[in-house]
Amino acid sequence: MASEFNATEKPDENPVLWVARPMATAARQFAKSLFRPSTIIYPYERLEDPRFRTKVGVGSGMPIGVGPVWDNYRGVHALNIATCISCNLCAFSCPDLCIQMVTVPGGDPKHPKKCPEIDYGKCSYCGFCSDACPEGCLTMTTRYELSTTKRSEMVYSPAKLNEVFRTKLPMNPIRIELPKNEDSILLDPPLCIGCNACARDCPTQCITMLDIPKPEAKPGEKVAKRIWKEPVVNDSDCVRCGTCISVCPKECLFWGGSK
Amino acid sequence: MTTTTLYSVSYDLSRALLGAVGSVLPPGARDALTSSNAVTALAVLVFCVILLAASMLNTIVLIWWERKLLGRFMDRRGAMHVGYAGLLQNFADGLKLFRKTTVSPREADGLGFYFGPTAYMVSSLVIFGILPISSGWNAGALPLSLLLALTIFSFAPLFIFVSAWSSNNKYSLMGGLRSAAQMIAYEVPLLLAVVAVVIVSGSFDLTTIVYDQRNYWFWGPLFLALVVFVAAMLAEMERIPFDLPEAEAELVEGWNTEYGGMLFAFFMLADYLRALVGSILVVLLFLGGWTLPSWVPAGLTSFPLAGIVWFMVKTYAVFGLFVWIRASLPRVRTDQLLRVGWNRMIPLALLSVFLAAALVTVRCVPVLGCVPSVGA
Repeated sequence: MASEFNATEKPDENPVLWVARPMATAARQFAKSLFRPSTIIYPYERLEDPRFRTKVGVGSGMPIGVGPVWDNYRGVHALNIATCISCNLCAFSCPDLCIQMVTVPGGDPKHPKKCPEIDYGKCSYCGFCSDACPEGCLTMTTRYELSTTKRSEMVYSPAKLNEVFRTKLPMNPIRIELPKNEDSILLDPPLCIGCNACARDCPTQCITMLDIPKPEAKPGEKVAKRIWKEPVVNDSDCVRCGTCISVCPKECLFWGGSK
Repeated sequence: MTTTTLYSVSYDLSRALLGAVGSVLPPGARDALTSSNAVTALAVLVFCVILLAASMLNTIVLIWWERKLLGRFMDRRGAMHVGYAGLLQNFADGLKLFRKTTVSPREADGLGFYFGPTAYMVSSLVIFGILPISSGWNAGALPLSLLLALTIFSFAPLFIFVSAWSSNNKYSLMGGLRSAAQMIAYEVPLLLAVVAVVIVSGSFDLTTIVYDQRNYWFWGPLFLALVVFVAAMLAEMERIPFDLPEAEAELVEGWNTEYGGMLFAFFMLADYLRALVGSILVVLLFLGGWTLPSWVPAGLTSFPLAGIVWFMVKTYAVFGLFVWIRASLPRVRTDQLLRVGWNRMIPLALLSVFLAAALVTVRCVPVLGCVPSVGA
């Protein structure tokens, strides 16, 4: 090993070759890339351009721009405001807390419609929100360009996300169908005051308030002052968003074991 | 005088300028302004400004040329965004450096710290006043212009060492020491290779050397001298594979580690000015300067400013060779560098001197061509 660093070692071949061989290699590379180097001029040319699909390839031989390599890409979200049910599940599932539900026009005045507003300065593109979306209205597209000069422009309002949806970009087709929450909404009847908040705020309208019989007043006891109704959840329509649990003023709704 | 020279252009320009200014002044002041002394003084100034602008412009374009060529050698494109094919990128970089604050280290010696880069830059610029670009396109026909150019060219290690020493930084100092050792080692073969040319041509005047090549360029008969000259010039310009003084892997940035902003731009520009001077010297000494061989069709040499055009084409081609070498060869070690310099280059250069002496005696070599007789 030490002999490798011996400066007085006799070279075993013609020293002219030490210069000539690398220069020939460089000249060959120069000739190869004289008219068209392998790089593409990114802002002016793009890999998704069909011209490059056949030319540029990754190691596996699968061309970039088509096939799973590209279609699996998780970029900017697309939001279909029309089908959003304001269930809050996207914001709830976000590990970076980058989704905020903001009011959008179109809801009725009493129950404003709320849609996700995404801060791409924080987003990690994990895709949990689109997986969690029960209506499939929040999806991820292949759009990857987010450069701005202002940090505030990294926050995409629902309207802007809807614009992304309307540009008909290729959507990320790989959407994990999460197993539906095995739990369902259960009621602790003695605590309920029949206030209708859960039914009012349920995004899927799957809660109905059913009349319950008003009990007879026992002697020496007062009948509780309340509305004599109780929520009943239609499990097949419920998206398990938990809105009812969070709005219940008496905390009488909770997640229960599977039925 | 019907031939256009750089001086005649600047003389006409200064006469027109002074005439325009003088026409709005009272007669006494007008006469003083348009007197031949005043016109000559302004002409010299205009001459210098034209020379400065031309050399800086060429230097910056040379950096672009290197970046583009290096890009192709590396299967990429180099600068692309600013200007057509990135032509204005280096102007933008220069403006950025111009705007930046010049920061000097607290421990640095202020005088040397600012004097070094400035003198390095100025000494590199002065050479352009000596080099003939085309017939008539130089400052003056000095009988020893080659000697003067090489003398100013070899001032550089002094200024580099001054700035390295006064930076008060170990990397700067090591870079400066390496630079001095390298430049002194390669100064000898460089000058010996030039001696071969001078023996054949019999003159130190660059214009005469170019005219002596009107029949046969010297690169053929003096090929060995050309090889030695190019290798020694690479070391003098501190370009890869001889860029040990600023070996960024070991010495941060070598002798310009502590420099930023405009002072760094001075170093950068002066490096490329020297590269330009090196390419020009190769063209003047070995490639026939602005002349073309006689078998070239007359239409290629008779258009206006043809000499300058062909001179620039040759210069950029020679610089392309330097870039090719940079793209191919790795940096050598210090011991290899000095061993090659003293043990290989000097014997080869001496051999080329003897070959030149033999050529002068023989006059013509069957394959390589002929050389003019001394004093012809």
